[in-house]
Amino acid sequence: MLQVEGVVKSFDDFMAVNGANLYVGKGEIVAVIGPNGAGKTTLFNLITGQLKRDRGKIIFRGEDISDLPSYEICKKGIGRSFQIVNIFPRLTVFRNVQVAVLSQQRRSHQLFQPAKNMVVKETNNILESAGLLDKAHSVAGLLSHGDQKILEIAIALGNEPELLILDEPTAGMSPEETSTTMELIKRLAQMRGLTILFCEHDMDIVFSIAKSIMVMHQGRTIIQGSPEDVRSNREVQEAYLGGE
Amino acid sequence: MDFSAFSSQFLVGLSRAMILFVVCGGLSFVLGVLRVPNIAHGSLYMIGAFATFTFSKLIGGSAGFWIALILAPLLVALVSLIAERGLFCHLYQREHLMLLLFTFAVSLILGDLVKIVWGAEYRSVSPPTLLKGSLSIFGASLPRYNLFLLIIGPLVAIALWLFTNKTKIGKISRAAAVDREMVGVLGINVSWVFAIAFVIGCYLAGVGGALVAPTASIIIGMDHSLIIEAFLIVTIGGLGNMWGALVGSLIFGVTQSLGVLIWPQFAIVFPYMAVVIVLLLRPKGLLKSVW
Amino acid sequence: MRDKEERELYREIIRSKWFGFSVGIVFLLLILPLFLPRFYVYILALIYVTSLLAMSLNLVVGHGGMFQFHHGVFYGVGAYTVALMLKKTSLPMWMGFIAGPIAAAIVGLIIGWFCVRLTRLYFGMLQISLGSLIWVIVFRWYSFTGGDDGLPGILMPPLLSPLNHSYYFILIILLICLIIMYLILKSPFGSTLQAVRDNPQRCEAIGVNVRRHQLMAVVIATFFAGVAGVLFVVLERSAFTELLFWVLSLEIFIMCLLGGWFTFAGPIIGAAIMVALRTFVGIFTEYWTLILGIVLILLIFFLPEGVVGFFQEIFKPRSKEATEGGNQ
Repeated sequence: MLQVEGVVKSFDDFMAVNGANLYVGKGEIVAVIGPNGAGKTTLFNLITGQLKRDRGKIIFRGEDISDLPSYEICKKGIGRSFQIVNIFPRLTVFRNVQVAVLSQQRRSHQLFQPAKNMVVKETNNILESAGLLDKAHSVAGLLSHGDQKILEIAIALGNEPELLILDEPTAGMSPEETSTTMELIKRLAQMRGLTILFCEHDMDIVFSIAKSIMVMHQGRTIIQGSPEDVRSNREVQEAYLGGE
Repeated sequence: MDFSAFSSQFLVGLSRAMILFVVCGGLSFVLGVLRVPNIAHGSLYMIGAFATFTFSKLIGGSAGFWIALILAPLLVALVSLIAERGLFCHLYQREHLMLLLFTFAVSLILGDLVKIVWGAEYRSVSPPTLLKGSLSIFGASLPRYNLFLLIIGPLVAIALWLFTNKTKIGKISRAAAVDREMVGVLGINVSWVFAIAFVIGCYLAGVGGALVAPTASIIIGMDHSLIIEAFLIVTIGGLGNMWGALVGSLIFGVTQSLGVLIWPQFAIVFPYMAVVIVLLLRPKGLLKSVW
Repeated sequence: MRDKEERELYREIIRSKWFGFSVGIVFLLLILPLFLPRFYVYILALIYVTSLLAMSLNLVVGHGGMFQFHHGVFYGVGAYTVALMLKKTSLPMWMGFIAGPIAAAIVGLIIGWFCVRLTRLYFGMLQISLGSLIWVIVFRWYSFTGGDDGLPGILMPPLLSPLNHSYYFILIILLICLIIMYLILKSPFGSTLQAVRDNPQRCEAIGVNVRRHQLMAVVIATFFAGVAGVLFVVLERSAFTELLFWVLSLEIFIMCLLGGWFTFAGPIIGAAIMVALRTFVGIFTEYWTLILGIVLILLIFFLPEGVVGFFQEIFKPRSKEATEGGNQ
């Protein structure tokens, strides 16, 4: 479904990504791991169009999306949640998700009809599956950190993505919230037939959920393979000396 | 085109640019350190001009101007110190928008104070005898006063450069411009750094006002027209960048006076046009901004 | 389905407590000219014009998060367009009235197109430079625009000549515009605009073409500014270069801030306060800018949330109001 081939990105003189390769098959759950600074978030930004690659190709469902702006990439079917909580703090939880659904239905430009009662079913649907329905009318900025991260994911779902990219979805969560969130992600993947690409620091999660793991180090892809292959790979072990 | 007309206009433009630079250098310096565009800068410039008028009339004769040139900026610096220590410094924790509005409020107050103290009529100051009349340079005729400006401008530039690069306070100000928290962590009282930077910047506005006094009519409203030009100059130069203020002033001053040769009625349009072109091509300014 | 949604909205509006209040106010405003002296009728009309201008700015600033630093330019373009058409051509008056906002919106489109490619502060600075260029051209083009003197003595058609008639015309146009603005803010466009304000990066990630959205908002806002410019000419029978000068643009900004820019009607309050202040202080002293400066400083130190924000804080303990943060 998604192929990243030989992507390179540098900032001034700093090589953030220097030869990254990634394959994500339809319906799979794939994880990207690597020590801090390995370039994981940069890679995600390149895939979803927040950054422009210097070299390499990014192909989604057979189409080259390497140079498209992020709003176009979203329309192709890729949804994204961000590492640092990136919601709409002044809007209610309901409106946070509603805005995404409206965008998906190409209704963002409608000027003269009240938005209040639009796409209510779809929005509540998403809120319910994310477990946020009871908080629908709270102001998003006032939610707990854990709830905000779930809202992050809910917003991404508003675009009915086929591929959902999650950047450290459990960062900053307690162990309890972490397992609830991962359960939620697994459930959503099954229910909606989503393909999931995520990156994480928590190795337990990664090795328990992911079918295929890609390891990055200093901007390069070391290996991509099943959890066993990755676990036994020498280079990976060296890169992670002292890591989790 | 007549070469001598061209070159004399060019030199006039350069000398006007020097006044602009003195004012904009100060504005840029304050902008760099405090991260706030000081709208009251124009009012302080105006006070400098009016004060020059008063001092030179009081003292009289040729010496009057020279003494006014020293006293007027000091008066302006004093006014700015009072505003800063009295009110401004309490706002440093607030968002920049509030600081900007504060400077606007001060400009309103100072504008009316000038009206109250000096009244609404035109004033003028004549240049000192030493600088009256014109010289001939390379076939071009240049008023002596403008030559004086051409000398003063670079002197101010050098003084500013020495200050920010060679004195302790200057270096601290530059550091505070880039990272004020770090400076605070090093045990330096950031508030005083701001105060000094602010007063110096405003002092330069006063100098600019004093320098412009013999060349233009001193009127209410010169604050408003100056500040928009100063803002644009500082923006095209690169926010907070002193050399940028010089480049911007040169562009502004020279395009305006050369514009006089091309289309006298719309001479003032040329510098504004130049600013638009620069910002369209380089929206962040020509030189690197300090931030 | 659409009608049902609309009927729901109308029912909600009518039931809301603000509706009764607003209807009462409108009724009051409609009958005021009958027994107020001319001067006060004039001041009210001036407040209406200024409110419309401030509301149009707030569309892009308070609700859109853009640094629209020279909004006055579009106001001036609207005013000068209608003034020039009425003065220099013999085209019918209504054509001028329509041409004003359209010209303002076209200028808004052009300037906006260049500005939305930039972020925040640089958006504002480019707009200031483009706006100032327009100001300086109008200022100098004495033969066409009257330059420094402006365009005084514009004749209004007999229907609008009496002050009271102008008053009603302005009030009705204001109300129509306010209703349209309200609908726009409550529409998907408005909702998305507020999301763009809060987090443009996230909006890009959910498929919103942020630049195009912001440009649309600018064009709408400048259109309304142009309407305000036309109304200004209707009231004052003249156009001045001050309308295009940066000071006015900053004043409108302050009106929005004063009134509270995350609320719907805040800018109206801000405009009313500024105009009232200028007029009534101006009766006692010619140094009203001094007073304005002092008032601003007091506000900065003591009322940072703006006047409406201040009152909202006082009357806060209503749980529903507190959760539906920011919009009435």
